[in-house]
Amino acid sequence: MPQAHSLLWHYLWVAPHVLQLGLALVLWRRGLHRQFPVFFAYLIFEAVEELLLYALDVSPAVSSETWWSVFLPGAVIEGLLRFAIVAELWRHLMRPWTALARAGAAVIRAVVVTLILGAAVVVALHEPNRNHLVIKIAHPLQQSFFLVQAGLTVSIFLFASYFKISWPRMAFGIAFGFAIDWCGHLAVWTILNTTIATSARASLDMVNLATYHLTVMVWAYYILVPETAGDDDLDLPADPTLDIWNRELERLLQ
Amino acid sequence: MNLTFLIVVAAVLGLGSVVSVGLARRQRHTPKAALTELVPLDVEAFRNLTDPAEEDYLRRHLPPAEYRTVRRARLRAMAAYVHLASRNAALLAQIGQAVAMQKDPERARATRRMINDAFLLRRNATVALARIYLALVLPGTGAALPRFQDQYMKVVASAMLFGRLQDPASASRFSLALQ
Repeated sequence: MPQAHSLLWHYLWVAPHVLQLGLALVLWRRGLHRQFPVFFAYLIFEAVEELLLYALDVSPAVSSETWWSVFLPGAVIEGLLRFAIVAELWRHLMRPWTALARAGAAVIRAVVVTLILGAAVVVALHEPNRNHLVIKIAHPLQQSFFLVQAGLTVSIFLFASYFKISWPRMAFGIAFGFAIDWCGHLAVWTILNTTIATSARASLDMVNLATYHLTVMVWAYYILVPETAGDDDLDLPADPTLDIWNRELERLLQ
Repeated sequence: MNLTFLIVVAAVLGLGSVVSVGLARRQRHTPKAALTELVPLDVEAFRNLTDPAEEDYLRRHLPPAEYRTVRRARLRAMAAYVHLASRNAALLAQIGQAVAMQKDPERARATRRMINDAFLLRRNATVALARIYLALVLPGTGAALPRFQDQYMKVVASAMLFGRLQDPASASRFSLALQ
């Protein structure tokens, strides 16, 4: 059974955040922070926040209540940054295709409203199982953020897939990583919101940490590994029958 | 507990759909392969099928029960045509996006126009299919598809211009492949 404060637990908490600081440096050096400014800000903010939370967690002087009091404002800022990242990714996806952008925006607005209503219902039906006020707020808040953000990202993926919109490579990598993270975190935070044993709680924390590690690895792949050139030309073998059609077409066009 | 179960299942399904989209992206068609998958659409037959005058004629000359049967068959045929047009539009959008990085401004403009027209047709096809299926379920509702064939022909014209600018031999290929 995975345990808190095991070697694996320390690794999963620290390593992805050190790696994401490295990725932020790569983005900066390649000038990509200008294309994805919100994602760049997120990489730095999230890494610093999580490393601070880690330091507070391992420090014996810090109580559980103090830790959650630091966690909550960070989670709010991080949640808002994630919404801004979704908007940034949407702009990258739809920027070239103005004809579809308006219809797409209407669909996404409807999805957001539905998801927010869904999150409100989930929070209303939630039975608080902790005494401390900050924890009472933090758990449903995290669940609501992940519910809306996971639903939104999956909807954008399905929309792009239905219309066969090609994602720019890096935007795809960022969105793919977040989709894995947010769907995983949604499932975990939903279970954490119920009454479960402390040992199971520790295992679920590890699942959250492992999911985030996977997400950072996905980003690393899409940021560090260059795209291979595809067979994207339209050179077709000559067909004598079509030459006749061509001549007729040229004549019509003139 | 039921709500928890539902949300966890939804999260797993969401993750599964994103991963399947990611895998599909790795196996995307090359423009050449996509071009061979275009299926010609008989625009004139489609136009007849959606002609309100033909619909009126059938209503006036057939017994009601037979008319309803014929109408259902016509609606199903209409749906098949719209599906085909929508699929062709998706393939054209894929072809255009795969070769979208054009240095020549005229080519770039033609490519962008074809992709935008294809996206619009696919969007309109979605609405058209919804209307057709609604008309199948509720026979009283109309399934008129105003200007859908014209929109399809606009996409064909954009595709021909795009093909001609890529390679003069491609224009007729697009024309033959689409109608």
